Amino acid sequence: MAALRDGDFAALQTLLKAPSKDAVRQLCQECFCSPPAALGPLAQRAGPGLAVSAEEAEQLVTALHNLTRHVVYRGLTRAEDILCLFPENFHQNLKNLLTKIILENISAWRNEAQASQISLPRLVDMDWRVDIKTSSDSIVRMAVPTCLLQLKIQEDAALCGNNPVVSALTVELSKETLDTMLEGLGRIRDQLSAVANK
Amino acid sequence: MGLLNFTREPVPEAVSADMHNLNQLSAQQFQALTEVLFHFLTEPKEVERFLTQLSDFATMNKISLGPLKNIVKSILLVPNGALKRNLSSEQVRADFIALGLSEEKASYFAEQWKVNSPTLTRLAVGQTLMINQLIDMEWKFGVTAGSSELEKVGSIFLQLKLVIKKGTQLENVYVELTLPQFYSFLHEMERVKTSLESFS
Repeated sequence: MAALRDGDFAALQTLLKAPSKDAVRQLCQECFCSPPAALGPLAQRAGPGLAVSAEEAEQLVTALHNLTRHVVYRGLTRAEDILCLFPENFHQNLKNLLTKIILENISAWRNEAQASQISLPRLVDMDWRVDIKTSSDSIVRMAVPTCLLQLKIQEDAALCGNNPVVSALTVELSKETLDTMLEGLGRIRDQLSAVANK
Repeated sequence: MGLLNFTREPVPEAVSADMHNLNQLSAQQFQALTEVLFHFLTEPKEVERFLTQLSDFATMNKISLGPLKNIVKSILLVPNGALKRNLSSEQVRADFIALGLSEEKASYFAEQWKVNSPTLTRLAVGQTLMINQLIDMEWKFGVTAGSSELEKVGSIFLQLKLVIKKGTQLENVYVELTLPQFYSFLHEMERVKTSLESFS
């Protein structure tokens, strides 16, 4: 999470050199999505379009990253709150444009932040099938139903970057195990309802 | 000896002699021995206890332990084969008679077989191969209060720890679910239960 620094707003004024509003919009989006480590390359790509030096480009990109991430962190949703962040002498039109762009994107950005937060490996899919065991080496004839459950689990997204590792785990459950599991799941559901009704 | 129900293979020579020796036991002695045998069959892990009880029986009835063990080995051939082949008590009785055991003793053993067979069947089924058997499930759920990217979150998460038996080792698998995923999981598991019940 990046905090807003003093020099950031000065750097943001470089955006006045942007060719169009859409270019600003595009840059905001890219700066939010980029992790801090990737800001350097992003600045190199963006610099030429803005006709600024490499150093200025990097300062701008960092400032925009900090601003967008700060707004998402604080959960600001009203224009007034975002406008308040800017210093008094900041360029009016640019301030309004940035606020507008941020408001347009805020809920998508918030969802993205939530989706990429650290967590234990996540369940991404589950499939099941019911088999009937008809014979085995210990008993020649039987009719025992059993359940095979396949869970697709994705490792922490933050660790894998763009190539998340998904592993499939197949588990066998007897009827008794399933009943016990359902009992546990039922208890979770009851507790969730109790919490929701408070 | 005609066709036996409990096995297709020829029976070892010693079995006839062992059955003959068994016939020499009194009804009471045979009943006591049968009890010891079924104790072992229903709790196959209690090997120590079984051997102790056999040895006590041998001492009390003035029989040498060595020959007694051979007799027991022969007797056990029948219930083991019967369990595998889901034999009825009549079939067990018929097999013992075919092997040379007296009608009275054969009937008694078959009766005990009938009484114990649900337990024994359940044990045999329990021994059947299971792939990655789910042994245990622990869970916790809570609320994410905040993160480095979002100061206030307030979303509910559910974490499951599944204990799975892979071969002989236990492995822990940790999974996190969102709330909608949890409800979907619960729904699917209830469908599985309905399916399993319709086949039971």
